[in-house]
Amino acid sequence: MTLTTGSLNIYGQKLSSRLLIGSALYPSPQVMKQAILASGSQVVTLSLKRQNPQENSGAQIWQYIQEIVTQVNGFLLPNTAGCKTAKEAITLAKMSREIFKTDWIKLEVIGDDYNLQPDPIELLNATEQLLNDGFNVLPYCTDDLVLCQRLYNLGCQVIMPWASPIGTGKGLMNPYNLETIRLRLPHATLILDAGIGKPSDACLAMEMGYDGILLNSAIALADDPVTMAKAFAGALVAGEQGYIAGVMQERQTAHPSTPTLDTPFWHQS
Amino acid sequence: MKIKINGQTLELTSKLTSEQSSKRTIEHSNETPIYVDDALTKYFNNQQQSTFALALNGDFIGRDDYCSTPVKANDNIDILFPIQGG
Repeated sequence: MTLTTGSLNIYGQKLSSRLLIGSALYPSPQVMKQAILASGSQVVTLSLKRQNPQENSGAQIWQYIQEIVTQVNGFLLPNTAGCKTAKEAITLAKMSREIFKTDWIKLEVIGDDYNLQPDPIELLNATEQLLNDGFNVLPYCTDDLVLCQRLYNLGCQVIMPWASPIGTGKGLMNPYNLETIRLRLPHATLILDAGIGKPSDACLAMEMGYDGILLNSAIALADDPVTMAKAFAGALVAGEQGYIAGVMQERQTAHPSTPTLDTPFWHQS
Repeated sequence: MKIKINGQTLELTSKLTSEQSSKRTIEHSNETPIYVDDALTKYFNNQQQSTFALALNGDFIGRDDYCSTPVKANDNIDILFPIQGG
């Protein structure tokens, strides 16, 4: 099967895959590598954390992910996971830029520990400062239309509303909200981020006209992450092609698919 | 003086007080200040480490500034390393 899609544009960088993939939670680094390769993704997310320097595991993981990204001619997307204020997120973004040598930052500013919901006020604040500092910000946000508009108006070319809370696998909680964001921000690169559980969730978002999907748990926590990565790759292509092809109008009443003219035995009873 | 690196208390040898450190550039104190570089050398136990980034009291400090950024008593340094992330 040959899978073809259009290219995903992230701040001027054209990517052949519309899937962005996380590097966490896999059963092993080897499975992570196989899953990333199977997904076809060219963007891999990663993070920064405290660590015992004697372990040196940070350098090992970093080297391993670098090798994968080089192999797929891809890009790193560091995140600001765990930050709760704009100041924390800005500091972490600057630290990431130094280590990973990229201006891309997946901006997360969490406002609530229960559902890891982004804090819109802190997010806007951090976004504005980071854009002014030369970052290409990919903000992780809720499916709030006005918030997305504000982020876009600040200068974000890419906006990443959630499907549902991180790691829940609940899929698209509010399809109407997500469709509205797509309709109202036709020129933004919209990437659905977080909460995706099944390939059909990703397909649905792509059918709405979303530009891409960022996910981690749905692949990493599958019984077979490598096969699931392939499934997601196919789902994104199916959804995108469905969107391009134009979905039929939904109708209230039944219409026979088979022509009724010259139906045999018609009205004979 | 004592500082914290990643939550761990570290004793650094210096007579430099917090106030002296902050006035270091304008008063030409005779005390030898301790810099971020010095703290890292002790924290890493002289082992070579390159894959990390650093924040001092919540503010990013670039690698080029380690040798010119003084630390003072009760400072907090965060040293972060790459890990997998979503």
